[in-house]
Amino acid sequence: MLRFIARRVVQFIPVFLGVTLILFMMTTVLGDPIRLRFGERAINPKVYKELQVRYGFDKPWYEQYVNYLNDLLHGDLGVSIKSGQAVSDIIAQTYPYTMKLAFAAIIIEIIIGVGAGMISAVKQYSFWDVSVTLSTSILVAMPVFWLGLLLQIFFGIMLKNWTNGAFYLPISGAESAQFPPAAHIILPAITLAAVSTAYAARIMRSQLLEVLGQDYIRTAHAKGLSGRQVLWGHGVKNAMIPVVTFIGLDLGAMLAGAILTETVFNWPGIGYTIFRAIQGRDYPVVFGGTVVILIAVMLVNLIVDISYAFLDPRIRYGGEGGE
Amino acid sequence: MDTQHNPEHKTHVPEHAEERMVDAVASAEVIPHHEQSHHDVGPQRTLGGDAWYRLRKNKLALVSLVWIAVVAFAALTADLWVPQNFGSPTAIDSVKAMEDALQPPSLEHPMGTDDLGRDIFARVIYGARVSLAVGVLAVGVSALIGLLLGAFSGFYGGFLDAGIMRVADIFLAFPYILFAILLLAIIPPSWKTTIWPVVFTIGFLGWTSIARVFRSSILSVKENDYVDAGRALGASDGRLMLRHITPNAVAPIVVYATMSIGGAILTEAALSFLGLGVQPPTPTWGRMIEEGRSFITTQPLLVIWPGIAILTTVLAFTLLGDGVRDALDVKMKD
Amino acid sequence: MAEELLKVDDLKMYFHTRDGIVKAVDGVSYTLDHGETLGVVGESGSGKSVHALTMMGLIPMPPGKIEGGEVTFKNRSLLTMKEDDLRKVRGNEIAMIFQDPMTSLNPVYRIGHQLAEPLMVHKGLSKKEAWKRAAELLTLVGIPHAESRVKDYPHQFSGGMRQRVMIAMALSCDPDILIADEPTTALDVTIQAQILELMQELQSRTGSAIIMITHDLGVVADMADKILVMYAGKPVEYGCCNEVFYRPLHPYTWGLMDSIPRHDVTEKEELCPIKGQPPSLIRVPPGCAFSPRCPYAQEVCRSEVPELRLIEGDHMAACHFAGNEGFDRNVLACAGVTS
Repeated sequence: MLRFIARRVVQFIPVFLGVTLILFMMTTVLGDPIRLRFGERAINPKVYKELQVRYGFDKPWYEQYVNYLNDLLHGDLGVSIKSGQAVSDIIAQTYPYTMKLAFAAIIIEIIIGVGAGMISAVKQYSFWDVSVTLSTSILVAMPVFWLGLLLQIFFGIMLKNWTNGAFYLPISGAESAQFPPAAHIILPAITLAAVSTAYAARIMRSQLLEVLGQDYIRTAHAKGLSGRQVLWGHGVKNAMIPVVTFIGLDLGAMLAGAILTETVFNWPGIGYTIFRAIQGRDYPVVFGGTVVILIAVMLVNLIVDISYAFLDPRIRYGGEGGE
Repeated sequence: MDTQHNPEHKTHVPEHAEERMVDAVASAEVIPHHEQSHHDVGPQRTLGGDAWYRLRKNKLALVSLVWIAVVAFAALTADLWVPQNFGSPTAIDSVKAMEDALQPPSLEHPMGTDDLGRDIFARVIYGARVSLAVGVLAVGVSALIGLLLGAFSGFYGGFLDAGIMRVADIFLAFPYILFAILLLAIIPPSWKTTIWPVVFTIGFLGWTSIARVFRSSILSVKENDYVDAGRALGASDGRLMLRHITPNAVAPIVVYATMSIGGAILTEAALSFLGLGVQPPTPTWGRMIEEGRSFITTQPLLVIWPGIAILTTVLAFTLLGDGVRDALDVKMKD
Repeated sequence: MAEELLKVDDLKMYFHTRDGIVKAVDGVSYTLDHGETLGVVGESGSGKSVHALTMMGLIPMPPGKIEGGEVTFKNRSLLTMKEDDLRKVRGNEIAMIFQDPMTSLNPVYRIGHQLAEPLMVHKGLSKKEAWKRAAELLTLVGIPHAESRVKDYPHQFSGGMRQRVMIAMALSCDPDILIADEPTTALDVTIQAQILELMQELQSRTGSAIIMITHDLGVVADMADKILVMYAGKPVEYGCCNEVFYRPLHPYTWGLMDSIPRHDVTEKEELCPIKGQPPSLIRVPPGCAFSPRCPYAQEVCRSEVPELRLIEGDHMAACHFAGNEGFDRNVLACAGVTS
């Protein structure tokens, strides 16, 4: 068991190095590092040279990479061109918003997605099942940002018109005078959750159907267990394993900034911040933010991978006993 | 989009959680699997002919195919009929713009006009060009890279295999969109007037699944008994590869590729929405949505029409992919 | 005479599918006494497994439907019982083990848990007591180191051991009847013998009746007191074991006997398989279901369905000519080869 964890952690390291290396290459080799660091204003060639020496851009790339890693591990992500603030501070301010959004979305996903998938599987081919299948297919084919806009149009604008401003939902930002923060998170969370919920429902449905067709379910019935005991104890427990994995990985994806959702709703999370930084050519923020996101995602993936071992005993204890 | 489709080809044991997820997502079908009715054994058909017959029977897939054909045809021939009937999708006539801006749908402008007086329908048709082209070409790029790397991995095994798979892991660790954004952010806007930067970016990111599928096809066939039987009869390695591996591998890759086109279109739309895709004045669906954002209070249709275009096209590719998968599934009873 | 433990009377169960009605079980009848062993023999699709699942209420009822007949267990009707009552019978008074031990156990629960489940549900044992009993059961079926093995997971056992676990699970509540559906088919030949021996030994200890469902005559030859031969959902021969083996009455049974490769024959003999395939259960041929494959079929066979009737003593057969003078296996040649 520990060997499994150790193996996974060890595999994590080259991936981490690979990812940071790629990012590093993008900043120094592909782009002009001085420009990326300092903006696109014209720079006096002499000053340019000085900057090169001062920041070590004339050193061989592997040395630069080591320095880069070093800075990274010390939490130094550079400084924003626009505001002069330390990038790590900017991230510390904005990441919590993204986390809040991601968790709200995950809760929706778990309750609605897994629940709908389960009911679909148990009542296969019923009206419910068909409508779930239909709606999930449509949700999955929709661009996320468009869904967000649709929700804005309907709940923020049309509803406001129909009720003469009495009842509607906020569509921008995380806080405002008229609405509690909880109201602000509703529409973005639904948007972010929508596609994932659709997938979760489908996966749950197909996994549960597959599990319910297994021989050990028949055995459980033959032992005289009640329908509910068989469904939850034997059916759902087995079907949940890949679903939990999916949700875990999804969390990672959401923590990756949900750039599209945040942009549509002006939600001040890290995705939105990075996007604005791209528009404003504030590259230190862009790359600093990306690094943090990538590390967070890789960590979540690692945890999910390890947790799989806890859920599936076949991974935990490999091998067969003898006769 | 962050998640991708993968055909239901479970011939390898997933090592990592991400792979398990991809497998699980793949097995969640769009269409509930109906019981296939039993026919009396009909005349012998080839695999291709058999598959085509089954595809034709699948109504959803057929409708999707027709829809895609219609859209593609409209897009390809756009220059012949769109500007003549609906005005230029890109040119701005400032006089006309003032008069015609933000009109609701009418006979003259079936989808209305945008804030600069341009016909939305015309722009949607031209946008289809970008989306379809990017979708198909990007998947093509992914397939090329994926087949190559998958082949090396599967055939030679050993360090090469481990190395390539490790690189694939690194790619999987990246949130897809983020990487695309970074790549395109670095490329200066002046380069992005053509579709190629977007095509290569999306294509470059999507090779991992195809490589994996092809590799596992190769591995499973390598282990399969009928390959040994062939060897026992004296067939050479090259011949074995051609006759046994290729037909087996083709099916899941074709299915995966078809479904991926939908994903590629969505990614292109997202990148355009963020302003990183093909630059104006070429209309793209994603960009149209972004431009329409400012007007959702007055004329939400600006946002709605391109979204519907994306939705229907992606859905068509997904259903077609499902249909192709069912049609090529040799194990299913006819 | 002790009351009959189980009486099956003209049980009929059809599947209603989109392609037609599948007559999976079409008139099965037999009785079973305490401690008796009944061998139910037939090919795939003969209905031998499905009839047992029907009795246990394990067939989903659409598309399945009971079309007639009665199943009386200890003077109670199984078919009309409410689901809650039937549940109390399953695993408790009638237990069932299945063909493939590799897939019949839930991979994410420990063996102890799966053994303890019926004990806790039916006998009201506490978790601790149930686990203790589970370890005892493992020892009973011949698994060494039961105390530690009981905490293992199914994938840590081999095929033969898993089947032993299944048997232990089935016997945990001391059932009156153990239904064994092809228990040895998925196992190696050497393990097969061990499992059968185990079952016989346990039977003599617990006194439970066994219904042994199999396609392999060799399996039931030793164990069974009575044999029921099934074909296309119908019973074609029924009688006590010796009678059926040494004086079989139905041509299908002859075919089954003849198609077993025999190792006691010194000269080279041709293998005599039964020609043809079992019929589709949707389009059952008119008359006797076996007539298309029967070397002795006559006009009457193709038009009239033969009833299962008493031929001599307790021996029954469903053939128009069974029991007739000269209609004897040794007299007629191995027609599948010579005709």
